[in-house]
Amino acid sequence: MKKLIMKTILAAGIAAVAIPASAKTELQWWHAMGGRLGEVVDEIAKNYNASQSEYEIIPTYKGGYEDTMTAGIAAFRAKQQPHVLQIFDAGAATIINAPGATIPVADLMAEHGKGFNSNDYIEGVRYFYADSAGKMIGMPFNSSTPLLYYNKDAFAAAGIANPPATWEEFEAIAPKLKAAGYTALAQSHSPWILSENFHSRHNIQLSTGNNGYDSTDVKILYNNDHMKMHWGKMKEWLDAGHYGFFGRAWGDNQDAFVQKKVAMWMGSSGSFGGLKKSTDFEFGTTFLPYWKSIIDEPKGTFIGGAALFAMSGKSDAEYKGVADFFAFMTNNENQVFWHKETGYVPITTAAYNMAKADGYYNESPDAEIGILQLSQPGGEWTKGYRLGYYVQIREVMYKKYDDILSGKSSVEKAFSEMESESNALLERFAATYK
Amino acid sequence: MNNINWRILSNHIILLLGVLFMSLPVWVAFSSSTHTAETILREGLQFWPGPTFIETYREAMFEAGGVMKSVLGVTMLKNSLILGIGFAVGKVIISMLAAYAIVYFRFRLATPLFWIIFLTLLLPLEVRIIPSYEIVAGLGLLDTNFGLIVPLIASATGTFFFRQFFKSIPDELLEAARLDGATPWRFFIDMLIPLSKTMIAAILIIMFVVGWNQYLWPLIMTTKEENYTLVIGIKQIYQILSDGGELPQYQKAFALTIMATLPPVLVVLFFQKWFVKGLVESEK
Amino acid sequence: MKRVQFEHSTIPYLFIAPQIAIIAIFFIWPAAQAIHQSFLLEDAFGLSSQFVWFRNYVDTIGDAAWLQAAWFTIIFSVLVTFLSLGIALLLAVKANEVIRGASAYKTTLMWAYAIAPPVAGLMGNLMFHPLIGDLYKFFNAIGWEFDHKLDSFDAGFVVVLIAVWKQVSVNFIFFLSGLQGISKAVNEAAMMDCKSPTRRFWTITFPLLAPTTFFLMVINITYAFFETFGIIDTTTGGSPGGSTNTLVYKVFQDGFRGADLGGSSAQSVVLMLIVLALTVIQFRFIERKVHY
Repeated sequence: MKKLIMKTILAAGIAAVAIPASAKTELQWWHAMGGRLGEVVDEIAKNYNASQSEYEIIPTYKGGYEDTMTAGIAAFRAKQQPHVLQIFDAGAATIINAPGATIPVADLMAEHGKGFNSNDYIEGVRYFYADSAGKMIGMPFNSSTPLLYYNKDAFAAAGIANPPATWEEFEAIAPKLKAAGYTALAQSHSPWILSENFHSRHNIQLSTGNNGYDSTDVKILYNNDHMKMHWGKMKEWLDAGHYGFFGRAWGDNQDAFVQKKVAMWMGSSGSFGGLKKSTDFEFGTTFLPYWKSIIDEPKGTFIGGAALFAMSGKSDAEYKGVADFFAFMTNNENQVFWHKETGYVPITTAAYNMAKADGYYNESPDAEIGILQLSQPGGEWTKGYRLGYYVQIREVMYKKYDDILSGKSSVEKAFSEMESESNALLERFAATYK
Repeated sequence: MNNINWRILSNHIILLLGVLFMSLPVWVAFSSSTHTAETILREGLQFWPGPTFIETYREAMFEAGGVMKSVLGVTMLKNSLILGIGFAVGKVIISMLAAYAIVYFRFRLATPLFWIIFLTLLLPLEVRIIPSYEIVAGLGLLDTNFGLIVPLIASATGTFFFRQFFKSIPDELLEAARLDGATPWRFFIDMLIPLSKTMIAAILIIMFVVGWNQYLWPLIMTTKEENYTLVIGIKQIYQILSDGGELPQYQKAFALTIMATLPPVLVVLFFQKWFVKGLVESEK
Repeated sequence: MKRVQFEHSTIPYLFIAPQIAIIAIFFIWPAAQAIHQSFLLEDAFGLSSQFVWFRNYVDTIGDAAWLQAAWFTIIFSVLVTFLSLGIALLLAVKANEVIRGASAYKTTLMWAYAIAPPVAGLMGNLMFHPLIGDLYKFFNAIGWEFDHKLDSFDAGFVVVLIAVWKQVSVNFIFFLSGLQGISKAVNEAAMMDCKSPTRRFWTITFPLLAPTTFFLMVINITYAFFETFGIIDTTTGGSPGGSTNTLVYKVFQDGFRGADLGGSSAQSVVLMLIVLALTVIQFRFIERKVHY
């Protein structure tokens, strides 16, 4: 209690006194970027702080995505929230639906004269962290999209010229890869790749209520024939030795590709940097396959990763700094820098064009594939989704997929249970906001 | 005669199997830590020690590892020591005081307070982990040593150990002291504490191990890498090792594992006598 | 409890104050908070909350995932308790019988007590690692298609094995001291009455060990319920498909990962009640023991 009173007095004192021009306003930034990514974050922060003298942004690594969100939530409840918080895709509904927890980035930028036009952003990036009217609430930060990586040596050994564009083609070439000693396919993060982006690629509706953007009172639509068909096939492929499942951990499935157990791996557009270092074979990148039987002209995918949110409860002067920092982050040079160093996609078309003009994609064509896929024409259902308790729903999905692949449950039963359990979660979430 | 030999033989065999079962994993961990990453990846876990003992341990201890590459093995070692020692000492002091009050004083709130303390035995930290986190966050104690150690002392195990022990001390001692005009404080310092030396030693050892091995609470309330203890630092590092992208450094993981195990094991081994006594006395 | 005691009125309060203060702030307050939150449906940021009576409880107990976790917790606890007690008892009896090398055996069987559960979990994880784990290779070699990432039985096996491994030492220490507490006179009398060591054990020694055994059962069940969090978090994380989730792990997942405070608080309260019930049962048994 005493601490709280002290803090209030202090805060009031600071607010009452005009901030002298020489003292830098500190902006706290909590993020979940570790390892190499964290180093790049630190560098960007350093560059920003050196580029002007009014604000100082201080990045702090808070753990993985969930841990960072939890830390942000706890801090907010204790009125000690940072200025900028990084929230991942599964947490978007939680933070965007909390009434007044954040200042929408579109409003923030407009208010502080930084100008904001969502059409500046690449198609697949624009809508995920926006509201149903298209106003962007969070600023996409580390964005990636799922892609197919394939082992060129393996393909050569099996006598296959091109990677499969469709799942039908995949079925045709898988036996040839098996004959050459490879399991054809593995993938990481099945909910992200084989559910959410599956729906986007085939332009299938993911949930009612405009994929969840219109309201919280929604039901999930995963229990559809297309998904069931695909997952039935996955089980078939697993049994036939064309598909390998190495557990839930992202790295285990990626390792299988690196260790040449599988010839193809579906991962993130940001994975190619790490793959370049760890593989001793030539690999290629291409778009996510689709079923020709479902859609003729496949649509693009949407972004995974996370966005930066401006937390509410700060002073106007501080928001001016946050807006300034966001503008810095989204200028072309920094976008291209971030893109090149981390493999995440640049979020604005202008930055993308700049990288193109630089000739970056001539040296590194893999880097472009993700952006190309994100820039593909959008459909009605390529904007992404906004679903509450989505971390738990992903758990349900993982569980049911495990059951399907291990044979414990039939596809029909697993999807029906997935539907009812997810809807129970969605209902709880909706009840929270009545 | 034959019967007896068979029996003794089978006894030894069973015991040896038991020893192997318990010791082999740690031995393999140690051996594997003394090889290079490539060897482990190629051949699997190693049984015989290899050539890179000094190199691996030097790297694990002194080279910045961890997710943000800012935490050293030595730093985590230091944090674990602070936690283990701080927790053990804090627990002993507070429990002794409380147990003394309960056993040697007649005061009005004695019974209700005793039951409150007893209640904490029933509900381990895990069931109140999230509100505990919120409270500590609200008090601004995240990432502090105080916030790390003090909430762990909120369970009554130490108080109970000392309560049982104090109750076993004969009444005559206190009677004699009162006849001599001793104040409660003097009695505590001059008579009770010296008498409890063995018990204190035992509890210090047990609690050091408990504190050092804490997992869930430090995991949640330290958010900055430099505050990691060895036990949770290992988990984070294992995660990076398996997140793909680089050659998995299993030998470093094993080295850290050995480092996380060594202090408490050494403490238990050296102070075996007191340790066992304390553990078993507490049961009575 | 007739005791000689001091009659001062302030000193005891002073002495007991630190412990009570800590308990009040870090035990009672969080526990009360958990109970309070279990009746609310609150958005994670605390900006809107509604009182929903027992909805969280109904949602929890009716949730298939919770029931699965509850079921696994029971099976897991029973297995870990009986296996580690059994192995420890066997080893303690033998260690008590042998003369040569007795203290060496005792030392080497004891020290594993000091290993933290998560550390045991990490070591076990690497032993079972598909790429480098000897145990993984071993099981596959003898024909068991071992895959603890996919198969829930295999995953359960791994978790139980590691949990048992960790716990054998503690039980061993207590059993050993319990055995050594049985007076020589009893042993000699027994030896005269009964030639067969096995029968001696079951008719005389084991009943005398009953108090120790019951005490250990409670400790083991508590261990299996709560302290194995570290093992599960560092090995399977509840996979595959939530089949190795224990109740306490689920509280952590829903509250800490899923930001569902109402739900996880309700689960915490239910867990509190279960532990309370188990403790009451324990006390019934200890009551019996006192009269031995």
